[in-house]
Amino acid sequence: MVFKWLPLNTTGRSIVPQIIFETEDGQALIVNTEAEHLMQAALDHEIPGIEGACGGVCSCATCHVHIDPAWTELVGPPNDFEAALLELEDQFKLCSRLGCQVKLTPELDGLKVRVATGAS
Amino acid sequence: MSAHPDPFRQARASSCGMTVHVDGEPIPLVLDLQGVRRAAKDWQAYSSANPFHITLQSEEALRNFRQLPIETDPPDHTDYRAIVEPLFRRPAQPDYAARMRDIVRRTVDEACALGTLDGVLSFALPLQSRALALLLNVPESEADEWITWGIRAFDHDEQGPSKGARLENYIQRQLEHAAGTPGEDLFSILHRATFRGRPLTYEEKQGFANLVFAGGRDTVIHTTTSILAYIAEHPAFCPQLAADPALVPKAVEEFVRVVTPLTAITRTCAADTPHQSAGGRIGLCWASANRDDRFFKHADRVQPDRAPNPHVAFGFGPHSCLGASHTRLLLRTLLTQCAERGLRIQTLEAIPNVEVFDTFSRPIGFSKLIQRWSAQQEIP
Repeated sequence: MVFKWLPLNTTGRSIVPQIIFETEDGQALIVNTEAEHLMQAALDHEIPGIEGACGGVCSCATCHVHIDPAWTELVGPPNDFEAALLELEDQFKLCSRLGCQVKLTPELDGLKVRVATGAS
Repeated sequence: MSAHPDPFRQARASSCGMTVHVDGEPIPLVLDLQGVRRAAKDWQAYSSANPFHITLQSEEALRNFRQLPIETDPPDHTDYRAIVEPLFRRPAQPDYAARMRDIVRRTVDEACALGTLDGVLSFALPLQSRALALLLNVPESEADEWITWGIRAFDHDEQGPSKGARLENYIQRQLEHAAGTPGEDLFSILHRATFRGRPLTYEEKQGFANLVFAGGRDTVIHTTTSILAYIAEHPAFCPQLAADPALVPKAVEEFVRVVTPLTAITRTCAADTPHQSAGGRIGLCWASANRDDRFFKHADRVQPDRAPNPHVAFGFGPHSCLGASHTRLLLRTLLTQCAERGLRIQTLEAIPNVEVFDTFSRPIGFSKLIQRWSAQQEIP
């Protein structure tokens, strides 16, 4: 596993969650983010495999991630819109979420997710 | 945009469903969102490898080669699609977005200079054509010829659509040019491409190019004109976007949901299915799925801030629209500039374009949209 820290795009918020994105080619990209959602954090840091094509309205599943088992309870389950889409995804797992539907809070500092779009 | 009825509502709510008859062939429609998604994903059961028969109306009269990659299934489809995918991923590049902004700015400028115009022929058609030149990476001057074709890529005469000689001749010219002076455009990519170690046949090259011209033409034009009509009917919309630019992507998704310019696409059943016998076709009705009230509250209303918005206007599964990123960028850029420039539009005459089958009809965009345009601000 290769770890790489990506620069923070900061606006001065006091508590900035750190997210670890594991890409499909095995890199671990660590970002500090002020984004509202996981998808936006990935787009802001150009995480390979996360396209966010629909802009975050739960239409395309190009922000599909697997939540690390240690974090699934805190992140919570998918909503009904999301679950209906995810169950048809090739890489669906019980820990699947759409990044656009995962709101980032200070409690998610250290969150680890794996890109699961199959696009990178 | 003023009338956006849902002709599938009753059928979707009943157990009877809806069957369309095309040239005597019964085609049951899948109407609910999750059913459409499941069928679109399940290419083994519902095959797309039925040349000329992926639209409700057969396209045998329009061409004599299969469109690629759409009229194939995986794994062929995967390999064919990979040939052109890099070209269709370019909209994510900053330079591409900048060039799109320039195209939209110039086309809006021209419309404002005209003052009174047909939004179909004098705005949506040139905008779509110029943007397509950007997507195909060909000189924008090529769009001048495409604009003369009107809103349909295929020729039409008094008897209706005719074998697409005009488009085929154009594609032939471009492929010959690419063979002589290859560049980085679509035709050169097709010239160089190999499929499992062999060069593409001429018919395969035609199949790719034909789909690019046919698939993204009237769909983009009808969505664009629907947006123009909405702006005219809702004068507060552009100021709302200007005040909250984050609304733009959501608004685009909502417009493509409500318009759904491609009503349905068909699949051929590989074996007996709950919908149809083996060998028969079913229709994946995107337009109905996008009004499924289990997923869309007040589904017939345009709600520019709708989120979530799990629509399937760009299809779903392995055959989803290759041009979706390009179209999203085009429409987002258009809305952004309309907002930044304080565009004001008044509709003077609107003739809806209506698609008619035996069991349903639905308006999709406009065949004529006479409007008066003015902008409050210029963009340098």
